[in-house]
Amino acid sequence: MRRRNFLALGAASAALAGTKKRPSIEAVDESCGCELQAPGGRGPGRGGPGRGGNGMQAFADLQSGLKVTNMKVFGVSMSPNSDRPYVFVKLETNQGLVGWGEGTLEGKASATMACMNDFRDFVVGADPLQVEHIWQDMYVHSFYRAGPVMGSAISGIDQALWDLRGKFLGMPVYKLLGGPYDPRGVRGYYHVDGATAEQLVEIRQTAKELGVTCVKGGIPGYYEWIERRPKIDQAIKSIQLYRESLGPDIDIAVDFHAKTSPSVASIIVKEVEPLNLLFIEEPCPPENVQAMAKIARRSTTPIATGERLVTSYGTRELIEMGVIDILQTDINHVGGITGLWKVAATADVSGISMAPHSCEGPIGGLAALHVDSAMPNFVVQEICGQIRPNANDKIWEEWFGFPAMRMVDGRFPLSEKPGLGFELSEASLEKFPFGGSRPMARVFSDDGSVVEW
Amino acid sequence: MSQIAHRRARLRMNFAPQAAAAAAPRPAALDITEIRHFAVREPVSGTRYSLLKVTTRSGLTGWGECGFDTNADFNALQSEWIGKPANTYATIAPSTPFRAALDIAMLDILGKAANAPVYRVLGGPTRNKVRAWSSPYSQEFPVTVIDVPRPLSRNQGKAYENRILELVNAVPADRDFVLAGSGLLTPGDAASVAFTVEAKHPLWFDEPCSHSNLEALRKISGEVVTPLGFGAGIDDPGVFQGLLREGLIDVVRPDIAIFGITGARRVAALAEPYYVAVAPRHNGGPVATAASIHLAASIPNFFIQHVPIPTSEQDRAMRREIVSPSLEKSSGGFLELTKTPGLGITVNEAALEKYRAS
Repeated sequence: MRRRNFLALGAASAALAGTKKRPSIEAVDESCGCELQAPGGRGPGRGGPGRGGNGMQAFADLQSGLKVTNMKVFGVSMSPNSDRPYVFVKLETNQGLVGWGEGTLEGKASATMACMNDFRDFVVGADPLQVEHIWQDMYVHSFYRAGPVMGSAISGIDQALWDLRGKFLGMPVYKLLGGPYDPRGVRGYYHVDGATAEQLVEIRQTAKELGVTCVKGGIPGYYEWIERRPKIDQAIKSIQLYRESLGPDIDIAVDFHAKTSPSVASIIVKEVEPLNLLFIEEPCPPENVQAMAKIARRSTTPIATGERLVTSYGTRELIEMGVIDILQTDINHVGGITGLWKVAATADVSGISMAPHSCEGPIGGLAALHVDSAMPNFVVQEICGQIRPNANDKIWEEWFGFPAMRMVDGRFPLSEKPGLGFELSEASLEKFPFGGSRPMARVFSDDGSVVEW
Repeated sequence: MSQIAHRRARLRMNFAPQAAAAAAPRPAALDITEIRHFAVREPVSGTRYSLLKVTTRSGLTGWGECGFDTNADFNALQSEWIGKPANTYATIAPSTPFRAALDIAMLDILGKAANAPVYRVLGGPTRNKVRAWSSPYSQEFPVTVIDVPRPLSRNQGKAYENRILELVNAVPADRDFVLAGSGLLTPGDAASVAFTVEAKHPLWFDEPCSHSNLEALRKISGEVVTPLGFGAGIDDPGVFQGLLREGLIDVVRPDIAIFGITGARRVAALAEPYYVAVAPRHNGGPVATAASIHLAASIPNFFIQHVPIPTSEQDRAMRREIVSPSLEKSSGGFLELTKTPGLGITVNEAALEKYRAS
């Protein structure tokens, strides 16, 4: 009875709020009960030096002189129904320098753009050289720690800050990071998903001509928690076809795309051991590290995963357990250059190598090359492109004036230009207006149930 | 071979490591043309350390410091690094002789080339001053160091605990203190000291016992909330990882003279997702003090920096003579950040000759 009264009261006040103007209230205390204080306990922080502003007053004597004056967020849909409009962020400064970054998050473009704008107060007015400080400010002071939306927003802003850092200091970002290991560039791979036997033979020839040393394919179809014999045989045959058609000299990676359960993946992985694959990727979904460990324990084929993990907090368990061989953290989600560098540094301690993921726009890919070239444990960099340039590659070349994320002699070349090494005009993006968020593929089994793809 | 070792071996066969890369195709301004080595010794304390001077084609010079090592192969360092670009500090292999000094010197050069303090090159400042402590010369810093005595005999029990409490109670209540165990206690004695001081709230108990006895550390940290710090003799970040994974360490203490700035930053990144503080070890000279300041101002999880200011005025004068400006000054218990490019110091080469260690 009491509960019913309470509900009725709630309904009444809701109706009141709907019909009447909200009464003016002087100040509502929205505090969570935490008493915020200024540093050193010099009194209450609310509105005082410990709270509000962008925290930069503490660094008044240590400024570089460069200051962010504006942040612009762009949604760039390469086709009207794209599920992954590029999310770009541009930072403008008091000295005319601009920085670009990318935080593309597949299926969640609008949310990421909104989240970037939520960080406006952390960025505008800041000294962009203090990237570690700004990163911590955004991450820690969000209170709710980063998932993929916030991780991608931070990633984009972080890349733009690094671009500005490099431009201001007159150096390519990889030099600031202590690279490059290899001045010739960063080894990469293209995708060969869905290619027929004849196409694979042709790809083998093209790879030889172009100096490409590594490719990645997928496995056909969708999988239930436990699979039937014909489906498992088909998956094994499709992987064997890669090796048979591509020959022994090309490194082959196979993406399971977390379509399989640990039970099903383990069977397939065991059967393809003799093929000497470079790695198999995401043999199961990413949430459960123990499940991944179960597959890894029973396999001699190197296991790669990690594209969906955010920050070095998110990769900690995988790294400390040391069961996988390669981490594929994505610079557009993990926390940008700062996040990727930390994950690589920590993975190295466990003897885990890095093969960063990149399946979004060109800015994140170009930013990843800088970190790759300064990693002691780098293996290979992904790009979701084909061995022959396609329409997308042409557009990227138009935007940047060079063939972005195309390899030369099997490596992505490094730029000598300061920052991330490119210029981009807002006008060139106007041809690809934002078409809104679109969901990624939604795939259902014959019986209508939801399946991974 | 275990599955995991087998997989890693297979992986190595399948890719050419970046470290095997060819040298830069053409001479560049930042190529290293000369490396010089100075081993110096403080006249009274006898403390010794190695300084490196690295010079580039463009004439920039950088200074670094690491521990004194008569066996380190300076010729190997030269043949490996002369002709390589001075900006590639991340590629220094852990096995490189004088690696900490080389890393610090290369960052000094990179800062000068970028016209920015090293902390700015590395994404800082993350703080505007650097909290510090000093031992044995500690008057100017707000931390007292208690060298924990070993028990006079086995099974001293209560008498030993009282002896420890006496030392702790002598510290004014408004001063913080660190218990320095120096790794000399047995795990049992370390546990009883940690328990005895628990309610006195030390900053941490440094090197309570050997870090290699994990079972003993599990027992101490499983029962006592006194924070534990380790770093002495650790040259492999994997040791820190093991302690972090099991929650056996509260203060990671990479030695600046072993890890350099970059190695210590990697250890800091390792500790960050465990919410663990970094308080780098430093028992060398004034160049490493400068490096420590830049390190502290470029990482988020820094807590406090040790500065080994000697007790003898003669030794202190030597440190002021070889490096200027002196950064080893307390400003309310903190060290100040430099604002000039690189490490922000000048090294007096003539003075180095004067103090050369034989």
